[in-house]
Amino acid sequence: MLQFDRVSLDVDTETLRADVRGFLAENQAHFPKPNSDFVTGHDAEFSRKLGERGWIGMNWPKQYGGGERTFFERYVVTEEILAAGAPVSAHWIADRQSGPLLLRFGTEAQRQTYLPQIVRGEAFFSIGMSEPDTGSDLASVRTTAIKEGDEYRINGTKIWTTDAHRNHYIICLVRTEAASENRHAGLSQIIVDLKNDGAQVRPIANMAGGEDFNEVVFEDVMVPADRIVGEPGNGWAQVTSELAYERSGPERFLSAFRVFVELVRACGQHPAPHEAAAIGRIAAHIMTMRRMSISVAGMLENSKDVVVEAALVKELGNNFEKVLPEIARLAAPIGASRGAFRETFEETLLLSPSFTLRGGTREILRGVIARGLGLR
Amino acid sequence: MSETQSTLQLILDSGEKIFSDHCDKKLLDQAEAGVFAENLWQQIVANGFNQLGTSGSGTTAEEMYAFIMQCGRFAVPLPIAETLLVNCWLEPGEGLYSVGVVNNGQIIDVPWGRKADKVVGVQLDSDVVFVVEQPAVVEQRVNLAGEPRDTIALPDDAPTVDVGLDPFAQLALTRSNLMAGALQTLLDLGITFAMERTQFGRPISKFQAIQHALAIVASEVAAARRAADAGVDGLQSERFIPEVAASKARIGEAVTVAAEQIHQIHGAMGFTHEHRLHHFSRRAWAWRDEFGNEFHWQQVLGNHLAAVGADNLWSFIATRG
Repeated sequence: MLQFDRVSLDVDTETLRADVRGFLAENQAHFPKPNSDFVTGHDAEFSRKLGERGWIGMNWPKQYGGGERTFFERYVVTEEILAAGAPVSAHWIADRQSGPLLLRFGTEAQRQTYLPQIVRGEAFFSIGMSEPDTGSDLASVRTTAIKEGDEYRINGTKIWTTDAHRNHYIICLVRTEAASENRHAGLSQIIVDLKNDGAQVRPIANMAGGEDFNEVVFEDVMVPADRIVGEPGNGWAQVTSELAYERSGPERFLSAFRVFVELVRACGQHPAPHEAAAIGRIAAHIMTMRRMSISVAGMLENSKDVVVEAALVKELGNNFEKVLPEIARLAAPIGASRGAFRETFEETLLLSPSFTLRGGTREILRGVIARGLGLR
Repeated sequence: MSETQSTLQLILDSGEKIFSDHCDKKLLDQAEAGVFAENLWQQIVANGFNQLGTSGSGTTAEEMYAFIMQCGRFAVPLPIAETLLVNCWLEPGEGLYSVGVVNNGQIIDVPWGRKADKVVGVQLDSDVVFVVEQPAVVEQRVNLAGEPRDTIALPDDAPTVDVGLDPFAQLALTRSNLMAGALQTLLDLGITFAMERTQFGRPISKFQAIQHALAIVASEVAAARRAADAGVDGLQSERFIPEVAASKARIGEAVTVAAEQIHQIHGAMGFTHEHRLHHFSRRAWAWRDEFGNEFHWQQVLGNHLAAVGADNLWSFIATRG
């Protein structure tokens, strides 16, 4: 049965937490509009400062610039930064996803090239998975990378690629062999330099008024053959592990956290009964999910398989991130229609449709959980 | 740690053996007809499970609450949680003890008050309890699940005892754990039924709609379990009240979601008296309301956090344990 063990953070993490809080207090000028959504706020300078502190690639090996710290320490830094509403989008994917992917599957040369840059907060990555005709059915990708001598020729289109117009690299899931009966075969991951390889990036405005995601078009883009991540043809195994292992972090239940903060502020020291209940309801959920997320950090620390548990945390967390603004909306006192509550609420509500889409839709996650229950 | 683990495992294993053998559908039906499960009670006493968590027993509060969770998993129709708490609060004894809430000069909603050798009356926001020996039953009542919840007279001269830690919250924590246990069974019943029931030529567990419903329930059950454990861990900290509040409020919501989904999966069969599903769903529903419902505890937690204030909200949430 699914089990989320009682895990207490080590007492040493308290020193680290205090350091992070001190750092955040010093750097609040970087986030005048705090937002706990990890996609909101791309600030290269802030990411570099985090890198200077050793808070990117925290648990990677020292030989690549990592800190060889625990998953718990990484957890503490991550949740503190998100709760404060700091701008983390620049380095987020590189730290959470691309770096671990390269560590696990990349070639030695790739690790030496990219990981130290990521750790310093100087190399930012995007994810090239979805395509115009490929969403949840990821194996149906049609972008091709055909080997020609020492190079690959890439043709196709990636879409919903967050920050491709700002970031340095994108790791794309591509077909290196024609589709066959085994639709998971013949897929590979390949690194493209977004600044220099000639991919065309076209912004897509989102409904919240942001231009964070894009369409990335590859027309005969040539990249060196050593940009294939790991083994050619191993793309499916790599991409599923990349998704599965990165679903349980605090970014999966804190996206709407600043709305909660502003609700508490708006209700004041002596809330009406329904206001107090709304605050307590939100807190009860967040406290529980946070502990589940820490349990998963403990499993990662012990190198356990967390596919189902991580999907479960994301399922609970993303759903609640959408419920939170709704509870807050109904409880907010009259005066909250002006000022910080309203601003934060509206911004978050408009972002909220994405919460249960990114990183695997709710429907896909429920399938993963169902498989864990033995139903598939 | 391994020694603690093994004691806990020993308790849970013997509990499971006893309950699997003795706590079946027939016993639950009889209990709801008002028949006290004397044999099962004797088994519990013989194994010392009525002494868990008391100072002389060599067992911990954590083990006591784990056992209570297991009682929820089997819908054990006895006032075991109440007897355990009374044995923790007062001089432990071998009798059957129960607890209710003081209300208008009476102690109300006392589980199996009619069988109790001693009844304790707790009050909201007070560590002081009333102790009633040889309790007089004013009225026999039952909750939604048919569990006896009697009204007991509170004599003017009933002695009081300061139990040191909010007794109402401790009782709420027993309900958190009972619900977490019942939720596990609801999920198990749902999975088993979905895999056995065939429609359209295949087990209904193969339909995506059913799989998603069970995934939702599994998420709620896992959250409930973690919230119950966090409430128990709160016993060791000054955060006891807000931690209990979070657990009872969160688990109550889980019950609402899970019971609805699991009944839907069972179709008409789960709506029959013959099926044992209702023994768990009705209990879980009833326990949501005992010793403070979700709204009560949400308010307790919310008022606590309002006093903490917006700028310290995160510090409160970001606790180590």
